[in-house]
Amino acid sequence: MKDIFFDLSVRSVRLNLLRSILASIGIVIGVVAISSMGMLGTNMQLQVKDQLSSGADTIVITADAVRMGPPGSGPTSSSSSATGISKTQLNKIKLAAGSTSKIIPIDSTNTEFTLLSTSGRSSVYGINPDDITKFLTISNGTNIEGINDALAGSTIATNFNLKIGSRIRIGKDTEESRPVVRIVGILAERGMSSDNVNTDNAIVVSNDWYTNQYGGKDTYSQVNVIVKDINTITDVETAIDAKLNTDTKKPAVKISDASSRISSISSSLSSITAFILAIGGISLLVAAMSIFNVMMMSVNERIQEIGILLSIGTEKGEVRRMFLYEAVILGILGAGIGGLGSLIIGYSVVSYMIGTTESFFLPESIMYIPIGMAFGLLVCILSGVYPAWRASNMDPIDALRSE
Amino acid sequence: MITTPLIRFADVSKVYHLESGDFTALDHITLDIDDNEFVAIMGPSGSGKSTMMNQLGILDVPTSGELFISGRNVASLTALERTHMRRDTIGYIFQKFYLIPLLSAYENVEYPLILKYKKRDESGKAAAVLQSVGFDEAMRAHRPNQLSGGQQQRVAIARALVNDPKILLCDEPTGNLDRKTGHQIMDILCGLHAEGKTVVIVTHDPKIAEYANRTITLEDGRIAA
Repeated sequence: MKDIFFDLSVRSVRLNLLRSILASIGIVIGVVAISSMGMLGTNMQLQVKDQLSSGADTIVITADAVRMGPPGSGPTSSSSSATGISKTQLNKIKLAAGSTSKIIPIDSTNTEFTLLSTSGRSSVYGINPDDITKFLTISNGTNIEGINDALAGSTIATNFNLKIGSRIRIGKDTEESRPVVRIVGILAERGMSSDNVNTDNAIVVSNDWYTNQYGGKDTYSQVNVIVKDINTITDVETAIDAKLNTDTKKPAVKISDASSRISSISSSLSSITAFILAIGGISLLVAAMSIFNVMMMSVNERIQEIGILLSIGTEKGEVRRMFLYEAVILGILGAGIGGLGSLIIGYSVVSYMIGTTESFFLPESIMYIPIGMAFGLLVCILSGVYPAWRASNMDPIDALRSE
Repeated sequence: MITTPLIRFADVSKVYHLESGDFTALDHITLDIDDNEFVAIMGPSGSGKSTMMNQLGILDVPTSGELFISGRNVASLTALERTHMRRDTIGYIFQKFYLIPLLSAYENVEYPLILKYKKRDESGKAAAVLQSVGFDEAMRAHRPNQLSGGQQQRVAIARALVNDPKILLCDEPTGNLDRKTGHQIMDILCGLHAEGKTVVIVTHDPKIAEYANRTITLEDGRIAA
């Protein structure tokens, strides 16, 4: 059935086409804002999660911050047993984690280095060469064999043009002993890693070289436990906690894993997403006002027509329907163009801000387009409710008399 | 058995409450109009003609007294029932035609049928009625603002007739037309009266009132003659 009230609404919109389009543009902007912002936030979350979840099977154990030892004790002081995880603690961890888990003690510090005349700053990780391949990938070259061998992270290798065989000096210019290490391998890019080992901008040396240089033998900055079955990760954590943190008031070590990191990063990213969505929401609110305004104008211009309709026997509900159709038409127009715009603008924004659109078409990202469109349509219909109600409740005599 | 007349005003008053005080537009009117009468209502402006038309057209209800139309007490009807009576029992013809500007001539005539049957007219009735009032077939797709006054009033008459109402209410139907066209319109109304319609016409033109069988003159809300 072709509804004459729908025809009347279409004709009314066409009669005031420019005004209707301008009002719809508000909805277009609102829909684009909500969808693009939503997609941006989601893609950000997905991207971060993707990077973090690579280390989801890893438990990171560090000395608790309150037990870091007296002020001034740095990584070079070998005497302090409280600067990291001790040998005794490591053995307890091995016991608690069981034989199926990989236990990797890691030392780390920051230092300056020089390559020819160029100097730079990076992290230095001291890891047993046998452990290196358990969680790091050497993309080029070989693993550490000799005492002076080292691996370079992907970023540092690119930035300083490090090659296999490059020699760099570790330590500040002012230091007397500045040993030379030889790069034997380049590590694969790791990104923002969840296990606290960010090798992209670091140099990895053997644990022997590290303790020779910085001391701290049998003390480790952190211990990573890679569980075999990711489902047992909580059980392993509980076991380690029971063994090491015997004093519940003063825990000796801090135990964390990627899932807690992912949830804490995700929750802060969700707040950011919610915030930018709210900004998009404000633009829809403004659009709602312009739709309301246009609808009121339409009602006020057509008072006499409404009077005619009512006086010759049009039901109130039918008059209401006619004006709600008008709001729906504006909404569909705005939401439709907005949806299309969101696809283009959202894609561009995600591509520009995040650098990759690999998650763009995933349901949890692309769903923001229909959501934004639905909101746009809803806002239009809600804005039309009062004008439609007003039109249908006019007194036909007064309405007819108006010019 | 007493047959009620088609229209009965029983001691009907209409009082408007204005800031300057109450204004009595209709003052205890008692009046019967029978089926197939042709009645002219005359009177100077402010005499209550329009108020009476609004009462007859069920656009308003009396402040006191009772108004029966087609045997039903208007005041006791719900708003929706009054709307349906306006649609089915009464045909309105206005001085300013009051066609729906966004609809074509044909659609304006079809419109009351759509209101009544909730669907587009497929019976050809709208076209037939439009033809019966002498509307030029070639202009049926024209919008009202593309038509002459005479053509617009023909469309308006066709619209009023299409749901077969018992009563035709005409408010100065020739007021916006030249003499010749005015008489053509009056001839159409006379023809409809001859076919059995009850015609009530409000006018202040005595020449137009001459078409009627009965003339009621209002003065200050009362029937003077």
